[in-house]
Amino acid sequence: MTTSRFFSLPPLVAAIVAAALQTAVLGYMVESRASILRSGADIKLKTLPVDPRDLLRGDYVILSYSISTISKSIITGQAPAAGGRARLSVRLKPGTDTLWTATEASFGELAPAEGSVVMRTLPFDYYAGVDGLPETLFVNYGIERYYVPEGEGKVLEDARNQEELEVEARVSDDGTPQIARLILRGEPIYDEPLY
Amino acid sequence: MYRGRLERDLKLWTAQGLIDEPVASRLLKEYDSRPSSFSLGRVLMIIAALLVSAAVLLLVAANWEAIPRLVRLIGIVGVIWGAYLAGGLLITRGAERLAAAFLVLGTLAFGGAIALVGQMYHLSGDTFQAMLVWFAGAVVAAVLFRSGAVTAIAGFLAFVVAGADWTASYNTNEMVLLWLMPVMAVIIILLVRYTGADRVRHLAYLLLVTWLAFIYSEYETPTTAITIAAFGAVAYLLAAVPQSPLHAVARSAGASPAFYSYLVLIVGLLVLHAEFDDIGDRLFLGIITLAAAIAGIALSGKENGAVRYLGYATFAAETLYLASETIGSIIGTSGFFLVSGLVVALIAWGVIALERRFSQAETKAEA
Repeated sequence: MTTSRFFSLPPLVAAIVAAALQTAVLGYMVESRASILRSGADIKLKTLPVDPRDLLRGDYVILSYSISTISKSIITGQAPAAGGRARLSVRLKPGTDTLWTATEASFGELAPAEGSVVMRTLPFDYYAGVDGLPETLFVNYGIERYYVPEGEGKVLEDARNQEELEVEARVSDDGTPQIARLILRGEPIYDEPLY
Repeated sequence: MYRGRLERDLKLWTAQGLIDEPVASRLLKEYDSRPSSFSLGRVLMIIAALLVSAAVLLLVAANWEAIPRLVRLIGIVGVIWGAYLAGGLLITRGAERLAAAFLVLGTLAFGGAIALVGQMYHLSGDTFQAMLVWFAGAVVAAVLFRSGAVTAIAGFLAFVVAGADWTASYNTNEMVLLWLMPVMAVIIILLVRYTGADRVRHLAYLLLVTWLAFIYSEYETPTTAITIAAFGAVAYLLAAVPQSPLHAVARSAGASPAFYSYLVLIVGLLVLHAEFDDIGDRLFLGIITLAAAIAGIALSGKENGAVRYLGYATFAAETLYLASETIGSIIGTSGFFLVSGLVVALIAWGVIALERRFSQAETKAEA
């Protein structure tokens, strides 16, 4: 279209630079996730899936966790008075049935402690009433989707109904979780490779 | 195709020093401005690129377990490299239109690769971020290749980014859009200026109009609507009045600046109709709207067909609206239709008379 090129790269250089940049971005995205799988702390969570469909990315199951609901009683430290947009740090500890539960949450940082894992929620909006915080806060962690081969979402949905689905995740030092494995009735079903 | 041959010849003549570069681009521009210069080949080529890209994206979506996901990822990265290298190679050979199709393919494959990574690691709550990365990748490719076609893709992706943020109500911060949408529009306009993809300009303008609508949806008050209408009015006057200091710049971008600012003014007035309940306010607003319609026709009618037709439409709609608000309740339904018919006939007569005058003025100016 353009015939005047007062400033432009030689097209082949442009091609290599564009492809290399985009490959680097993709590589970074992959490695940031793979590194969590490789070296994150292991936790195990209870779930409640449902089954919609993402046209671009195929079948996935929406997962909801018992730790997605944070009770006001476990929140320590100051909450931003006006409400608004915030993230929580949530301390998880393993229960007697090896499933991890939220034992403490804070709008600030939580210090690492032996036998516990600190996970960061995604940012969420909340409204503080006259009594301060609402009784429960519903939060997301960025592990609320699980992509499955087309048609296999149904099996997991049934397991959801019987509450027989668990998720093993790994958590990085900065509190980002990554799904590592799905467990159906005590049996691992989808094991996540690094790549 | 004649245009391709013409372009090649012009390049050759420029290289041999027979004609200057500005002359060559002027000649090409003249050819492009002819109504018959629509190139079926170019359109089909881009459609083919879009279809192949859709196939790549669906391959990802199908979650095809037969192929390990790492192989799929490497395959998509291979498509990106292949498409960009083929595009670059074709540009050096002068086949710029075929090259554009490959660049479009590469840019869309990048989006597919982002989606695949999201699928591989079961990412959630990140659609907005993913789309933003895709948009950034498209912008970078458009700059590097100076490609009008990729600029168009970036323009559409700007809307996708805004849509992704708007629809994902839970995790994303909608307030980001307040500054992000105008920033993306400015980026697109700069790309358009750089690549010469003039038609993509409309995407940037539409993005700005959408942005104003978004502002209104966030702050739904009469003040917001009045501000939007006033902003549109000022912008329109700056673009359309010959004495305005910005008139020359606006004209260099064609009919669009005047039209879109006029559109903002009309949209603002339309929203105000929903805000005002009082009959006196509505009447006042009606008079303002009619005045805006007449001002648009009078100021830009001769040189800007788009503003003229929007002016006609606004005038007709407002007249009918006022008729239904005032006399509509008195004369009953059938009487109202009769009056409407007469009003529309009168407007039609006015439009025909005006159109005749405009075309006479044009022929006189040409003669």
